[in-house]
Amino acid sequence: METAITIFLGILSGYFAIGLLFALYVMLIGARKIDPLLADSKKGIRVLLFPGVVATWPFFFAKLFRFRRS
Amino acid sequence: MGLDYKWVLWNAHKKTYDRLILLGMVTYLVLFFVLSFLTNPEIIAETVIIRAFGSLAIIMLHIILAIGPLSRLNPRFLPLLYNRRHLGVSMFLAALVHGVFAIIQFHALGNSNPIVSVFTSNMDYGSLVNFPFQVLGFLALLILFTMASTSHDFFLHNLSPKIWKGLHMGVYLAYALVIMHVFLGAFQQDTSFLTVLALFLGLITLVSLHVRAALKEAKIDGFVWAKDTKGWLAVCHPREIAESYAKIFTVDGERVAIFKHEGKLSAIHNVCKHQGGPLGEGKIVDGCVTCPWHGYQYLAHNGQSPPPFTEKVKTYALKIENDMVYINPEAFPEGTAVTPISSGS
Ligand code: HEM
Ligand code: FES
Repeated sequence: METAITIFLGILSGYFAIGLLFALYVMLIGARKIDPLLADSKKGIRVLLFPGVVATWPFFFAKLFRFRRS
Repeated sequence: MGLDYKWVLWNAHKKTYDRLILLGMVTYLVLFFVLSFLTNPEIIAETVIIRAFGSLAIIMLHIILAIGPLSRLNPRFLPLLYNRRHLGVSMFLAALVHGVFAIIQFHALGNSNPIVSVFTSNMDYGSLVNFPFQVLGFLALLILFTMASTSHDFFLHNLSPKIWKGLHMGVYLAYALVIMHVFLGAFQQDTSFLTVLALFLGLITLVSLHVRAALKEAKIDGFVWAKDTKGWLAVCHPREIAESYAKIFTVDGERVAIFKHEGKLSAIHNVCKHQGGPLGEGKIVDGCVTCPWHGYQYLAHNGQSPPPFTEKVKTYALKIENDMVYINPEAFPEGTAVTPISSGS
């Protein structure tokens, strides 16, 4: 059981650590690549969106990748 | 639908509802504190905080889960549905205070990482009665965090509608985890019998509301309408539709909403272009049919979103004969204008 807990919490903290870095990148630099609408919105809105990007970063990661290639 | 993102798409109603939410939460917390200290002067403040915010969160969760079926059964609950998002975020914040205080109180004093301690301080995972119930609360809080943090329209646009919907169905999983968190916790803490009883009644209420709403839906789909000679279907009396609301009918396998706006009837396809929300369960706000799910708007007479928006739904021809509303089951193309017919009331 202890191994299972260690693995689970390891994955969880890794997920959130990557999410934090990724969300910082998105909100500071890559916003318009994710959603052009963000470029026209007030900057403060990004603070509100930040935690959600941390939570769902893999979806945005995929999106960023598609954008790069097209 | 938006052209840029705002913190909140404010309107007067949302502000009123937000004030009500805040007022309700503060009143509950104050009452909880006063009653706790009156009945047990020795109780420590941290314990009261943990209990007050935990029980507040679960009460709010019940309200959130009841709003969906309630507004299907009775449109008078719709304003609550339109304002459910902020209720969800506030509920998460209450649960967060509960979780954080519980972790500080029970897990922050040892050497190990407090989160690890939530999982390892009680290793009785094989037991039912002694199961580490706090783990269940932690997992529920993770789900609630994901939902609260992605509740903004931005995420609706960016995580395809399907994924967003899937994420937000997680509220049922969170509810199940919270129920077990409290029931199992009750064996180990001195949770009062009243709390457990209230939770049990809450569970029964929620299940029966959902079943009743589902039965109502099934009845709408199963009905076979009388036809006139041209194949138009007689669906209801004009007065059965309330001003600014709709009734939903299934004609030739498609759901259609017949709205009454300023005494006149118009029929549009019931399915919102955004994520398939049931337009006929919404009401007319500021002259527009307003989707109950996320508030996309359409003009009833032509199925078009007001400019600058471009969404369009199918429209249908109606007529009234012998005090019956008839609908032509052949739809017009999306966005076709149809003159509303007078309902005579
Ligand atoms: C990190 C997450 C969580 C932890 C560590 C945690 C911990 C605890 C603890 C230690 C208790 C027992 C308190 C006592 O009786 O003195 C408790 C009870 C309770 N928890 Fe949680 N919890 C968490 C998440 C949640 C969530 C997400 C909800 C609901 C949305 C919730 C709702 C409740 C309720 C209703 C009680 C019963 C309160 C009472 O005794 O009156 N908890 N929790
Ligand atoms: S389904 Fe989202 S607004 Fe209609």
